[in-house]
Amino acid sequence: MKIETTRFGRVEVPEDRVITMPHGLLGFPDKGRFCIFQQKPGSPFVWYQSLDDPALAFVMTDPWLFKPDYQLDVELAIHAMGWDGDGDQVPLQCYVIITIPRGAPERMTANLMGPVVLNPNTREAVQVVLSDEAYSLKYPLLEQQAA
Amino acid sequence: MLVLTRKSDEKITIGDDIIVSVLEIKGSQVRLGIEAPRGIAVHRSEIYERIQDENLLAANVVATDFVEAEKLWKPRQGHQDRLGGERED
Repeated sequence: MKIETTRFGRVEVPEDRVITMPHGLLGFPDKGRFCIFQQKPGSPFVWYQSLDDPALAFVMTDPWLFKPDYQLDVELAIHAMGWDGDGDQVPLQCYVIITIPRGAPERMTANLMGPVVLNPNTREAVQVVLSDEAYSLKYPLLEQQAA
Repeated sequence: MLVLTRKSDEKITIGDDIIVSVLEIKGSQVRLGIEAPRGIAVHRSEIYERIQDENLLAANVVATDFVEAEKLWKPRQGHQDRLGGERED
């Protein structure tokens, strides 16, 4: 399918690359379809482009690139999404959303409290809410690198 | 909105399988116990709201800021192995 995007122009997204979020992202309940792509090979970031809103795109990354001890309980997500139907272990992928403040990219932060968990088999994703407050909503990426 | 008055140790049943118990009332604080089936997410509302607000902030990426952010952050591990996997299968 061809989709229009504000940032990348007209993009071809194969049907099997479409990711559905039945519950949407928090704050965007009606934006249910996304795709993930890397703008440049080797970039530490991927884009999470909405297929329902050309202007809506998030920057995401792999949390274990900067937080090797990151842990999240995906059990609730697995049940809520019905991913446990076949009883097999579900190989899930996890991303965290990056906030890049306007004009101040050096202050970019990662949202470790609301990771996006993707089931590559069903191409469904859900934003998990980690409510034990063990992880920051605004985890600084660069201070961590300097440390 | 349905409004009910409950005392300590009293309960509210929602549907067939969600029970909210008032465990303790102390001054302006109330301790609640929530029994819900697996798969029903129960969270403090302010956490939802904070994640929602953060999503709204994250949605407004400016292209030039993104290019700069890419230059600034160089993860130590082999990130291509991890992030590359999503596109190749």
